[in-house]
Amino acid sequence: MPLPSVLMLCLLGIGIAMFRRSPQAFLDGPSSDVPTVLLNWAAGLLSEERAEWGQAMLGELDYIDGRIRRLRFALGCVIAALLLPPWGRAAAGVWAMIAVTAGSVGLYASLAIRFGLAGGDWVNWAWAAITVSSLAGFVLGSSALLRRSGVALPGLLGGLTFALVSLTMTGFTFYEVTGTIMTFHERLIQMIAVPFTVGAVGTLWRGNAAIGRRIARLAAVSSGLVLYLYSTLAVAVLGAGGPPDDPGLTSGGIVSDRLGNNLIDLLLGTLLTATVGWAGAASVARLRPGSPLPTLPGPFTPAASPDPQQEA
Amino acid sequence: MQRNRPPSAQSIRVLRALAADPARWRYGYDLAAEVQLKSGSLYPILVRLADPGLLETSWEPGVISRPPRHLYRLTSAGREFVGALPAARVGRTVPHPHVRWNEA
Repeated sequence: MPLPSVLMLCLLGIGIAMFRRSPQAFLDGPSSDVPTVLLNWAAGLLSEERAEWGQAMLGELDYIDGRIRRLRFALGCVIAALLLPPWGRAAAGVWAMIAVTAGSVGLYASLAIRFGLAGGDWVNWAWAAITVSSLAGFVLGSSALLRRSGVALPGLLGGLTFALVSLTMTGFTFYEVTGTIMTFHERLIQMIAVPFTVGAVGTLWRGNAAIGRRIARLAAVSSGLVLYLYSTLAVAVLGAGGPPDDPGLTSGGIVSDRLGNNLIDLLLGTLLTATVGWAGAASVARLRPGSPLPTLPGPFTPAASPDPQQEA
Repeated sequence: MQRNRPPSAQSIRVLRALAADPARWRYGYDLAAEVQLKSGSLYPILVRLADPGLLETSWEPGVISRPPRHLYRLTSAGREFVGALPAARVGRTVPHPHVRWNEA
């Protein structure tokens, strides 16, 4: 299936899912104040131990006047929430994602030096910038998902399952990862069956459709990062060798072409698997509407002091 | 495991601003404006100061439809900590103070 068709199908799927979730909100557009929406999202990223700080940021926002000032404050708080160290499994997961991404960036840089990709051609610089930005976005996205309650373990296990299935299909060989085009049957298993199952099992495991969808997204993002590392390692090992490429290309051109393909696979593959996983989670939630909801941590209720200003 | 590292120059600015009037409760946004820090820098600093007990927090009840507001001021340990900081310590080039986070 051509890549633009995959992209269009994914975007259409996301649009339908958003419409089904809340038709009125989808048609009317965002109704709440943008800084408040941002800050509510950021507060949700904080661990239970830090919930008070999320409420502190939200409370402060209400006393700030001016759209730009409010937006700047909210954006700063989003960064603070993302940078504040997570706890437990989430922390381990974030560090694992950072390590995988750092490995990919290191390999990319070594290839750029070895094959002279950094020499003059602005297209290579543009690709490098897009690659690093995309990887940073993936790490931030996974960091946000890992912090959500009940998502880290099943999401990372789902991502590991998906990555292992994908690599098993290539026989764990660098040659196959770099050059083989999968059959329709293999694609069906890799891109549809496995992510759908991950989303469905995640929803059944946690008994909640929202958590199931986050599990599916985390599985897609984490497997995308792992597969990107593996495919970049394959390029580093094979260099311009391995499967035959366009005969008109130089060694640097072949490596650059393969790195570009890896990036496209990362972006579109993740989008597709996340969408299919989302569909799996939504389908199970629809088939089992009576699934018990787990007790999620509620909003922090500040215990207000009698009057601290007077006390001072 | 808690890391035993000296406070950053930004943290020291916050500490000094709070120490200027240690009995007064301060709002986060006002504090950020005073020490010229963005919220993305201020809140992690406040968290790092509150964790070892250098900073105490409280809630001011909300008025009418507004939510409660978080307030901050130094604890006695925080005041001692600021008092132990070298007066000239404003940046990373100056030697680290002997007082560490965990000793506060």
